[in-house]
Amino acid sequence: MISNLAVAIMNGIVWGLIMALIALGLNMIFGLLHIINMAHGALYMLGAVVAWYVIELTGNFWIGLMVAPLCVGFIGLIIERGLIRTIEDKPIITIICTFGVMLAVQQLVLMIFGGSPRRISPPIAYRFPLFDLQYPAMRIMIALISIALMIGLWIFLRKTKYGLWMRAVVQDREMAVGLGIPVNKVYMWTFVLGSALAAFSGVLAAPIVSVEFMMGREVLIMAFIIVIVGGMGNLEGSVIAAIMISLIQGVGALFVPPSIATVFALAFMIIVLLIRPQGLFGE
Amino acid sequence: METKKSKKKVEGVLKKEFSRRDFIKTTALGAAGLSLSSWAPVPFTYGAQPPIKIGMLNEYTVFATEYGYWLGKVGRTAIAKINAEGGIAGRKLELHEYDTKANPAWSASMCRKMILEDKVDLIMGSIHSGVHLACFPIIKQYKIPLFSGGSMTYEFTGKDSLSLHGGYYIRNHSHARSQAVAAWKFGFDNLGKKWTFLNADYAWGHSLAREFGSRVRAAGGKTQDIFAPPATQDFIPFLQKVDPDTEVLFTAFLGSSGLGVLRQTVEVGLHKRLQRFTVICTTEGIGQEVVGKESVGAYYIEYHPRHLDQVPKELHPYEIAYRKACGVDKDGKEVGNPKVTIAGSHMYSMWIYPYMIKLGIEQCGWKDSKKNMDLIKAICSLKLKAGPWCPVGDLVMREEDHQGFNDFYISRVEPDLKLKVLERIPKEKAMYEPETDLRTIT
Repeated sequence: MISNLAVAIMNGIVWGLIMALIALGLNMIFGLLHIINMAHGALYMLGAVVAWYVIELTGNFWIGLMVAPLCVGFIGLIIERGLIRTIEDKPIITIICTFGVMLAVQQLVLMIFGGSPRRISPPIAYRFPLFDLQYPAMRIMIALISIALMIGLWIFLRKTKYGLWMRAVVQDREMAVGLGIPVNKVYMWTFVLGSALAAFSGVLAAPIVSVEFMMGREVLIMAFIIVIVGGMGNLEGSVIAAIMISLIQGVGALFVPPSIATVFALAFMIIVLLIRPQGLFGE
Repeated sequence: METKKSKKKVEGVLKKEFSRRDFIKTTALGAAGLSLSSWAPVPFTYGAQPPIKIGMLNEYTVFATEYGYWLGKVGRTAIAKINAEGGIAGRKLELHEYDTKANPAWSASMCRKMILEDKVDLIMGSIHSGVHLACFPIIKQYKIPLFSGGSMTYEFTGKDSLSLHGGYYIRNHSHARSQAVAAWKFGFDNLGKKWTFLNADYAWGHSLAREFGSRVRAAGGKTQDIFAPPATQDFIPFLQKVDPDTEVLFTAFLGSSGLGVLRQTVEVGLHKRLQRFTVICTTEGIGQEVVGKESVGAYYIEYHPRHLDQVPKELHPYEIAYRKACGVDKDGKEVGNPKVTIAGSHMYSMWIYPYMIKLGIEQCGWKDSKKNMDLIKAICSLKLKAGPWCPVGDLVMREEDHQGFNDFYISRVEPDLKLKVLERIPKEKAMYEPETDLRTIT
């Protein structure tokens, strides 16, 4: 039992960190632009698809990990400039618009990439013993990359001029404009960064979950739950919420049927919303 | 715009006198032409009779698209072939095709649209049990036959058939029960007595666990059931619940989850202490190279071999012609697109249906929907012999429950990632007692 619990806790933390990375981009876009980006899951999927093509060409996972976020970031730029910019102050319209983008991206990928799942081989095949099971080192590596990326993002937001601008715009948009901060540019780069983060997490998750045109659907739902529980716009809250939800699912599955454990996670979200509607760490 | 030249020409024609000799000459020529034309070979007189309208529903977007792509392609090819060979009773087949979007409610509205607006005579396709279930009240109301593309819920041809669809549902392929009846013994005798089912938490996964599990337990074996959400991505919480003394891990998921469970079983090292057994549905339309080396050693239940050289020798001439017509190579890949793998254990249903419809119509003299039940009865009494239209070998339809049976195959993934057939299970071993008797319907 103790060994099972240890595996469940470890996997919960690792999977939670992967989910946190996916939720970060979504939360960043919401925190700054107040846009509920329904296309986030599609951008996550697009990252994995682009990486699959790059890896097919080069045979190198790491090149795919570098190229895919750049490509998807560029697509994010087009989406922001071409669509979001004109409707960014109409929240309902942005939901419908990004939902449309999601459908368009999914169907385009279905046409070009096909409907069958494809595989990205893990760059690290090593597995280490963990009680009765083995645990793939790849997952630990992804978790470490997630942590590094979150630290990088924290430094970017706290220690750079652009990060300062972004936080200023979140606090008071009008004042930021008055102080000469290029708000439109900040919006644009935030959307690009959020899109690139989605792609990055798509590439990292692909060796575990396979690449297919609908891979963003389930992830999007879970990412929304994480963002809501953690507090909209609160990046640290997202990370903690992701780990908590993942642990509830993983540890819960030891005692009840795993499907019920998923219900526990949803129940947790409902309780949080009843007690703190702004989320655990929201203001 | 009328030019001077053309104006003159028109005037010339109008002014020309038409003599009695001219009249007789023209009439005689016309009569000769008409009588000669009746001697000319007319291969197919389209338009002489109204076409037979066939509706086709498949999963082209959203979910199970790897199935929908092939079921659609094979269905279209078969209908084109029937038309090229002269149609059915001199009537052309006209196809009306729709996407189910894997959405039962949407599919029900498409089913109604096909019947009421397109006026289809018959409907075929879809592997989605929910889609079929949603269409049942409609086909029952309008008395339109529905031919299953690949639904695996055995209850659809079980004891509640009459109340579900009124006998208007026909299935020429396997399902959870016939798969269990055919293959449980192989697993029990060769792989182990202690089974764990790690299946998708919906009707199909439960059906397989119930059908295989009850037989394993009845034979003195032990079973454990674990159900996971159908779109599970991280299987470690589920795999760590597998009993340590498990000898056979039976898994049933579709698409990327099917891929994920196989690979993650290897990632956590479970494959070293147990045998993996599954139905081919888990990797239909997905090449073994996509599943990867992790699939080596896994056992599959196939309903028709993926690789040409694994198809029984006596079926080769038919199989080669069938593959050529559908654009499939010897390795089960799409010709010109080797990244696309066939859904070979499912798509044959759509190849055979148009031919079954042809035989049924020719047998009962069906002209329109008034004789639909006669047509269904004729189709469901067919005993098809292996041939160009039945490349899967002999296929027997059962009148009692409108269920078809053909041979099964147990395959194992070899180190070269090929599905090698270990055993061919004759259709007789897949048969079970019918739970209903639809022969009395009029």
